[in-house]
Amino acid sequence: MKMKLISLLCATLSVCAAQTIDRTKPPVSPNARPYKLPPVSESKLPNGMTIMLADDTRVPLVTVRLVFPGGNRRDPQDIPGLAASMASMLTQGTKTRSYQQLAEQLDGMGASLSAASGADQVIIQGSVLSEKLPDLLELVADVARNATFPENELTLHKQNRKQKYVMDHAEPAFLANETFRKVTFQNHPYSHVGPSAESIDKFTQKTLIGYRDTFLVPNNATLILVGSLPAKTTVQKSITALFGSWQQKALPEYKPAAVPAAGRQLVLVNRPGSVQADIEIGRTAAVRKDADYFPEVVASVVLGSGTNSRLFMDIREKKGYAYDAHTELTPLDEAATMAAVTQIRNEVASEGVAAVIDHLDRMGREPVSSEELRDAKNFANGMFLMRLEPQAGLADQLVTMKVQNLPKDYLETYTTKVNSVEPEQIQRVAKKYISSENSTIVVVGDAAALAKPLEKLGKFTVVQAPQAGQQ
Amino acid sequence: MKKTILLLASVTTALFGAASNDVHIPYEKYKLPNGMRVLLSKDTSVPVIAVYVIYDVGARAEEKGRTGFAHLFEHMMFQGSANVPKGEHFKNVEANGGSMNGSTHPDFTDYFETMPSNKLGLALWLESDRMRSLAITADNLKNQQEAVKQERRLSFDNQPYATAIVDKWPTLAFSNFQSSHSLIGSFEDLNAAAVEDVAKFFKTYYAPNNAVLVIAGDFQTADAKKLVQQYFGDIPAQPQPKRPDMTEPERTVGKTETVKDPHAQVPGLIVGWPAPKRHSADWYALGMLDALLTAGQSSRLQLNLVKGKQSVLQFESNLGWPFASAQDFKDPGLYAAFFVHKPNFTAQQIVDQYQEEIDRIAKDGVDVKELERVKSVLRFGKANNLQSAIERAKTLGIYELIDGNPAMFEQDFTEGFKVTSTQIQAAAKKYLTATRRDVLIIQPAPPAPAGGAK
Repeated sequence: MKMKLISLLCATLSVCAAQTIDRTKPPVSPNARPYKLPPVSESKLPNGMTIMLADDTRVPLVTVRLVFPGGNRRDPQDIPGLAASMASMLTQGTKTRSYQQLAEQLDGMGASLSAASGADQVIIQGSVLSEKLPDLLELVADVARNATFPENELTLHKQNRKQKYVMDHAEPAFLANETFRKVTFQNHPYSHVGPSAESIDKFTQKTLIGYRDTFLVPNNATLILVGSLPAKTTVQKSITALFGSWQQKALPEYKPAAVPAAGRQLVLVNRPGSVQADIEIGRTAAVRKDADYFPEVVASVVLGSGTNSRLFMDIREKKGYAYDAHTELTPLDEAATMAAVTQIRNEVASEGVAAVIDHLDRMGREPVSSEELRDAKNFANGMFLMRLEPQAGLADQLVTMKVQNLPKDYLETYTTKVNSVEPEQIQRVAKKYISSENSTIVVVGDAAALAKPLEKLGKFTVVQAPQAGQQ
Repeated sequence: MKKTILLLASVTTALFGAASNDVHIPYEKYKLPNGMRVLLSKDTSVPVIAVYVIYDVGARAEEKGRTGFAHLFEHMMFQGSANVPKGEHFKNVEANGGSMNGSTHPDFTDYFETMPSNKLGLALWLESDRMRSLAITADNLKNQQEAVKQERRLSFDNQPYATAIVDKWPTLAFSNFQSSHSLIGSFEDLNAAAVEDVAKFFKTYYAPNNAVLVIAGDFQTADAKKLVQQYFGDIPAQPQPKRPDMTEPERTVGKTETVKDPHAQVPGLIVGWPAPKRHSADWYALGMLDALLTAGQSSRLQLNLVKGKQSVLQFESNLGWPFASAQDFKDPGLYAAFFVHKPNFTAQQIVDQYQEEIDRIAKDGVDVKELERVKSVLRFGKANNLQSAIERAKTLGIYELIDGNPAMFEQDFTEGFKVTSTQIQAAAKKYLTATRRDVLIIQPAPPAPAGGAK
């Protein structure tokens, strides 16, 4: 009885509703509410340290980034992985604080602090409730300037890093990306994503401190604060007190290595027991400063960003070859890569690779439709806005702008630049950077199941995935 | 202008009440006549909106022979509905600058869109259309069976530790089929799913009276209420679904088992216990004990096992593990921990070292300073997390669904923070004993010899 009453009521309501909405079509949206990014002010300490402040009062938190351009690309050639391990060791003890003291102090104030190295930069990063900002800044300065790389912590770090090396190489996606970078970049420093089995033994106090003293200097540093900040003079004063006495030091000359020309290479990484084929197909592409960059961004979205993209709709939704198929555009400072990434059922591995290749080539073969173009632009712009929602998103954009020397209006003009991309530009850029004739094709899987079917596509070089016990 | 500043200030105080230091999410709750519960949580600081729909059905409602069905069904929800042709759901969200997804949990299944805030109507249109009129066809089912099987291969069968966690661990942690079966399901059961199963599941569980709708972010309350009424108001209610019997027999003795994992290269193990009843004093005490063991950089396991004994490489644990939080399980739930450890230690040594850490707390208790430190870790983690509209929406929606009251989110904080050392000791002694403990040892094994080539 009760049920009846409810459905009657609903029926009445639906009559009212029907007068106002048409369910058969998506509703017309009101205009988007404009959103203004918090203004960013930039200044310098006399020792050359750059300071960027963005007052963002949405939440009572402050996000901190202390960034040093250099990163993994400045690893000594015979010690890949040095910068990343140096960064991890920064928080393992300083002149006045043991690991435990540092950790307890951080946890006690309700803050996060860590250090890491990427391809282009070392970053010390953290976040804290606004009222505790001075306390966190003190720890940031301490780890940046006074890390001691204690011998016992270093021994443990190296042991654990060797185990991490083994764990990483158990992951098919890691193997695919490591191989893709190695084959694509050859002798360029971007060719490594981590240490080699041999290089970990070369992480010593001397090599770590050598890297630190070379790159973690104030004239190579930018301190970025995003959040509910105290008055500017107060912030400047406390920054000066913590970093002002830091001695500047000339950076070594640096001439970026030549980026190898793209060329077709086929590699099969044998991972016995793999139940599917992890695939990465791509090549070097346009960096952010290149005029081709925005057409490339939109092309990447059309081809493989999100579920409405060509790769997802065809490889997964239509063909059912894979759970996931997407593009990865990685615009590093000295070079970018554009790749299609998917994991295909063993039985259809060669058909899957061929289908992906056809999608890559089609981007250069014919212009994208106006509908696809409009949809892709909206998606790219929407994702850009979403990324800025949390404070860390804005802070990370500022890091990229600094490390890659992007124009000051990069964030403000992003949407306009996306919107101005034309189909002809996409087709031209796709011919240049997406078409497969000069692409690296990496397949990770069980060679016993895949080598034969893949023969149809060309001659693959077979390499073995490292196994535990071989290091 | 002035108004904006005031509004911002009020948001700030709302999220982080300075006096109590408690984490808070403002919300308004009401119910449509068809039984659908609606939660609105307004914050206009960024022009972003999150629409979150959570249904009161998860993998623990699955029947024998249909393991993995709740998740397969979740995939079907993206295949179109009366007014949204196949593929258009994705397109409508992404081509309007949004992102979306769905996920299946033991006791609920959820769907969400995050969009520029002027697209609220669009997101509600999409969610209401599939709740009202899902397209259930053989073609869609066949296609999604393949997608789910591929997902299983990608996320589980081809990864280290993952099959042990999803297929084997539940058989140790639980004895009732509802909880002990694989939540991703077997290929056999996935293949057996028929269109009629999909239709029945839809009618039974995907009804407004079995769902909660949450809108969080930048909206005007009157507009939002009007849109909700227009899109969802006339979707008919269905009889309240019967819930499966999930009771577990009283546990006195735990089990230890070993699996060989061809993809693992470094040994791992899982340790766990049945959890106390949600929101009981012991449940809060175990939550705090877990934080002492694992939260922040100065946790006991970090300082004593990763550093001190140098035996553990990685660890994670929580009430509800391997799911993200205690809110993933209605009763009965579990408390479990996962370790990856150095090969020069045996699994038994790691289990003993872990038990020793628990037993030390049970015996000696914990000083106020350490307890306060752990609370600040928890508070900071939550504050950080609540920056995004979708996280606020999920938090409210899940608490409404699991506990029937979003305010339980705050209660869990305040009650959890009242826990004393004595209560933690008592709960550890009562629940986390070696006798009641389940252990699953994951040993690296050489890969199966593959058809000839080495």
